[in-house]
Amino acid sequence: MRARLAALAGTVAVAGCEGAQSAFDPAGLEAERVLLLFWIMLGGGVAIWIAVIAVSVYAAQAKTKVYSDRTGVLVIIWCGCVFPTVVLAALLWWGLAMMPDLRRPADGPTIAVSGERFWWRVAYAVEGGPGVIRNLPRGGVPSSNEIWIPLGKRTEILLSSPDVIHSFWVPPLAGKMDAVPGRVNRLVLEPTETGVYHGACAEYCGTAHAYMGLRVFVVPEDEFEAYVAAQARPAAVDDGRGAQSFLENGCAACHTVRGTPADGDVGPDLTHVASRSTIGAGLLPTTIENFAEFIRSTDHVKPGVEMPSFGMLPEEEIVAIAEWLETLE
Amino acid sequence: MQVFGKTQDNLWTLIAAPAIWGFHFLFSYFLAAYRCAPNDDIFGTRAAIAVVTVICLLLILLIARRAGREWRTYGGAYRNDQATDNARERFLEFSTLLLAALSFVAVVFETLPIFVFWDCR
Amino acid sequence: MIEGTTQTEAPDQEDEAVRRAQEDRLREVWAAPKGWRYWSAVNNTEVGVWYTAVSFGFMLFAGVLALIVRAQLAVPENDLVSPTFYDQAFTLHGTTMMFLFAVPIFEAVAIIILPQLLGARDLPFPRLSAFGFWCFVIGGVFVTGSIFFDQAPSSGWFMYPPLTTEERYTPGYGPDIWLLGLSFIEIASLAAAVELIVGTLKCRPPGMRLNLMPLYAWYVLVVAGMILFAFPPLIAGDILFEFERMFDWPFFDPSRGGDPILWQHLFWIFGHPEVYIVFLPAIALVAMIVPTFAQRPILGYSWIVLAAVGTGFISFGLWVHHMYATGLPSISLGFFSAASEAVAIPTGVQIFVFIATLLTGRVIYSVPMLFVSGSLANLVIGGLTGVMVALVPFDWQAHDTYFVVAHLHYVLIGGVLFPIAAGVYYYWPLVAGRKLSSRLGRIAFWLMFVGFNAAFLPMHYSGLAGMPRRVWTYSESLGVGTANLISSVGAFIFAAGILVIVWDVLRPRGKEPYAKRNPWNAGTLEWLVEMPGEDWGVRSIPIVTSRYPLWEQPNFIDDVDKGRFYLPDAEEMKRETIITSVLDGTPLQCLRVPGPSFMPMVAAIFTGAVFIFATFHWWASTIAAMVLAAISIIVWLWRGTAIIPEKPEKNVGRGLHLPLYTSGPHSVGWWAMFITMMGDTTAFLGLVFGYYYFFTIHADFPPPANVGPGVLWPSVAFGLFAVAWATALGARLTNQAGRIGLARGLMAAGAVAALGGSAALLWGPYTTGLRPAAHVYPATVWVIAIWTALHGVAGSLMLAYCLARSLVGRMTPKHDMDIWNVALYWHFVGFAVIVTVGTLAYLPLLT
Repeated sequence: MRARLAALAGTVAVAGCEGAQSAFDPAGLEAERVLLLFWIMLGGGVAIWIAVIAVSVYAAQAKTKVYSDRTGVLVIIWCGCVFPTVVLAALLWWGLAMMPDLRRPADGPTIAVSGERFWWRVAYAVEGGPGVIRNLPRGGVPSSNEIWIPLGKRTEILLSSPDVIHSFWVPPLAGKMDAVPGRVNRLVLEPTETGVYHGACAEYCGTAHAYMGLRVFVVPEDEFEAYVAAQARPAAVDDGRGAQSFLENGCAACHTVRGTPADGDVGPDLTHVASRSTIGAGLLPTTIENFAEFIRSTDHVKPGVEMPSFGMLPEEEIVAIAEWLETLE
Repeated sequence: MQVFGKTQDNLWTLIAAPAIWGFHFLFSYFLAAYRCAPNDDIFGTRAAIAVVTVICLLLILLIARRAGREWRTYGGAYRNDQATDNARERFLEFSTLLLAALSFVAVVFETLPIFVFWDCR
Repeated sequence: MIEGTTQTEAPDQEDEAVRRAQEDRLREVWAAPKGWRYWSAVNNTEVGVWYTAVSFGFMLFAGVLALIVRAQLAVPENDLVSPTFYDQAFTLHGTTMMFLFAVPIFEAVAIIILPQLLGARDLPFPRLSAFGFWCFVIGGVFVTGSIFFDQAPSSGWFMYPPLTTEERYTPGYGPDIWLLGLSFIEIASLAAAVELIVGTLKCRPPGMRLNLMPLYAWYVLVVAGMILFAFPPLIAGDILFEFERMFDWPFFDPSRGGDPILWQHLFWIFGHPEVYIVFLPAIALVAMIVPTFAQRPILGYSWIVLAAVGTGFISFGLWVHHMYATGLPSISLGFFSAASEAVAIPTGVQIFVFIATLLTGRVIYSVPMLFVSGSLANLVIGGLTGVMVALVPFDWQAHDTYFVVAHLHYVLIGGVLFPIAAGVYYYWPLVAGRKLSSRLGRIAFWLMFVGFNAAFLPMHYSGLAGMPRRVWTYSESLGVGTANLISSVGAFIFAAGILVIVWDVLRPRGKEPYAKRNPWNAGTLEWLVEMPGEDWGVRSIPIVTSRYPLWEQPNFIDDVDKGRFYLPDAEEMKRETIITSVLDGTPLQCLRVPGPSFMPMVAAIFTGAVFIFATFHWWASTIAAMVLAAISIIVWLWRGTAIIPEKPEKNVGRGLHLPLYTSGPHSVGWWAMFITMMGDTTAFLGLVFGYYYFFTIHADFPPPANVGPGVLWPSVAFGLFAVAWATALGARLTNQAGRIGLARGLMAAGAVAALGGSAALLWGPYTTGLRPAAHVYPATVWVIAIWTALHGVAGSLMLAYCLARSLVGRMTPKHDMDIWNVALYWHFVGFAVIVTVGTLAYLPLLT
């Protein structure tokens, strides 16, 4: 696992600088088709813009020739009516015709994703089922802020929220879909390349909206299965000083670490927090120092966050907790 | 035919064609929303929208034909900027004709989705 | 007062002494009050200028907020301002620009130039304009001022619940200030819409048929009509929203059957037409400027009418394109995508009408034309990206990113602000009698044009590169640092251009001479104005036989100036203008227009107090303010409307005798009531939409009939309201027939029946124990019942008002405007009652 992560970290380092969250570097079926659509529209748009501006600049100068009204009316009819109508009709048809295929049903796993202030709750291996549902299915294998999906399959993401509206957006893979309280929306991701892709919350959801990132790891199918199986196991290390401090200082009221008495359901499940590449919803790389910093001055690292700062704890306890968390792979 | 006689145009006849577009739009939207809320099959919905579309297009054509005929029969100019009843009438008819053409195109646009989407996804 | 001058034979307009005397009288009648009473002025030349100045003030304020936003985003991981301040800044930027600048500037400019353009002395309801203005100032200061107390709304200008409805997510008063402050301003907008529709349809000069109306007036008509149908759904949404925040009625709370998406529907049913509501009036300015500088009539007049009316309609079918990512069925998205593409057709027509007009004219270049060209260049970009985001799959990527931020600013700055700048340079002589500097104008233009494109072109890239909108900061790894830095620098250059215009407007003029009359050699009536202008507007109200009378009607200016047309005098020392027919501009009435009064300001202050006190939950003060507001409006109406003239008709010149009093569909008051009630009914239908929306999404809505408000009491209410409706109509007919005693009896009976109906309507849900906070069903029933019951109470007051007018002799069988209007009001209430009772009491029986 560790080696796998190191290899991926390399990818993150490269992809993290450019393109990891860009719709210009597509790695999913929808993103690819939309980008093609965009380039064609951009080309057409630039051509139209140049033509319109050229005509109007010519028309607006103190020219020697004054055209007849008949010419003018023809300009209105052909350039103002006929041409736009034809182009728009073609574009509309293309845009509409793309949609059924993009919304084709999934043939891969179903993953429940709940947008919460200000992180993403993830559950693998949930029962989806067709039709309208109003609440996310319960159970499954919990995780957060990081979603692994298999290459070559259409994975269905079930989206909802227990608090306010969020929007799930991983630009290299697909367009966005809102997570709306009281509704479950479906978004199907069909990745075309392995790699790590960054996403964000796209609907303003409160002060820490800018810090609600996520990562999507696209891996071969067998690796995906292994990952989910690993995530389903309880924590590797369940005692020691850090675990003690974690339980004594109330962390367990909000966080779950399976295999320990910690079973809070408010914040992210930390059972395998060290196996994830970031903490704080895509904010900081997973290191002991960053764990400690996040615990020590949460609202400074992530302004607006719901978790209180634990800066009042003795430094050695903070470090102990951070060290323990770093062992939770 | 007397239907195409000298009717008096006004602001209401002017907006009749876009109002038909509005009706068609709301009908399509509400029907689809109602049938899709429980995720029902929408073949019937699409058929109903198709029927309403045909009716709306015919009505718009009728409006266009009425306005266009009168406009052509009684002068048929583009500018219609004289201070006469005739010019005012021709202006309204010509504008009605243009709005009917726009409404026609808009209704056709509005119907395209029923040929593309076969279910409620 | 001046008995001697009310002669039957026409005065000799060729005699200069006669004309002098007339001018003195006109000047005195139309003069703005002096000293502190100046603020009681209601004339369009005063109110319109105040309105414009205040809107620009708000624009500068919102612009400063935008600069703060851009400064914060200039570099990655910046912490120049705190995230909570940043959130308030972008929310207030959008809110202020839309509600306190873009819409009001339309109303303001229209109030200034529409009467001039129609050769009218004033709009028909100057006090209503003044009321709207004071509402706007009070509400605007209330909303914008909140940021100085760190209490400004902070959730984006579209305020999505549940983020905004739940105290735990958004503590404080921010959302309440937004809702109540803006509801109040929406009232001002509706007031302006009524004023402008009636003004356009009924206050045109004699002879100005529909086919001769200036294009600006066509746009005003369309836009005011759009306001009438677009703002009320938002008012309905505001009501639901505020009831949820104040009383915990769960309209948007899914745990009790509500749905946050309902707000999005109601907001965007307003929000998308809104874009065109601000865009069309700006394009209307272009439609006035282009013919002037092409030195020819517009080519394709009907095509512009097509474009304006067509856009007006289709823009109501776009609202879901702000909601493509909410998970609606594809087929629904398809309908909205289709309409969003279709609306580009009329916009394209407009642009090519302007191009064709220039192509076929001899163009004179000037600063206004420079801004028009800049507008065109930017607007076309905004239009093309608009066509892109109208496609659903592309919008799934672009939605809620900086791509959309770029798109909307290209539309709003390119399509609205640049034309307004063109309009400022074009119309400044009309307001101040002098031209602005063309040198400063060119500097301003280039700063604005370059700065604007530097600021917003890179945002297309930032957005697709992964930058969502409304983020306080962004990570360096996103790779959009350079693009954002360019944007920020561009924003400041753009702001410098705006400052140059501000300087050009405010700089001391010294002894600079006034401009010559009609300085641009334009063809339309507003340029009749003298430099500097007189408060009376036009010297005499002309007969118009052309679209461009100053170009095409011989000896026109001289005829107007010599008073050879209508109303060259104010011999009774009253403010007067002419009311004409809708189609052909046939003179119908000489309307006495009310003069200065503090009542509109007083009424606005009390109405504002209602909203402000309610924000802070000071209920006793709220109710007191409500009573005072009602009293001040009644006093205003009682003393200022439906005044019985001293004689039935008067000679308005050229041997034309017009009545001084009309009622029913001939009167402007009836039209105002009709238009107001169209808007009011739209708001009601917005609430009813909520009911049927829940009916659609919930299988158990409405619940079995025995849970609802019952059938008995709503039926009783229906019966009583039917009686009230019938008595209102009967009172009008019997009063008209001269049977005053019977009419008074009917009014009294109707007033009582209406109160009874209202009580019965509320008694239904009360006796069946519907608790509105329990679930969305009882909440919806209550809100619809309360709406209709309040209209019943208002209708009862109106009947009582008519009775009182009749008893004191202010309403007679001949002078019966009041009861005409009240009977019309009752037709609309009757409709609302049918819908209310049918929906609340009888629909559950069917399901």
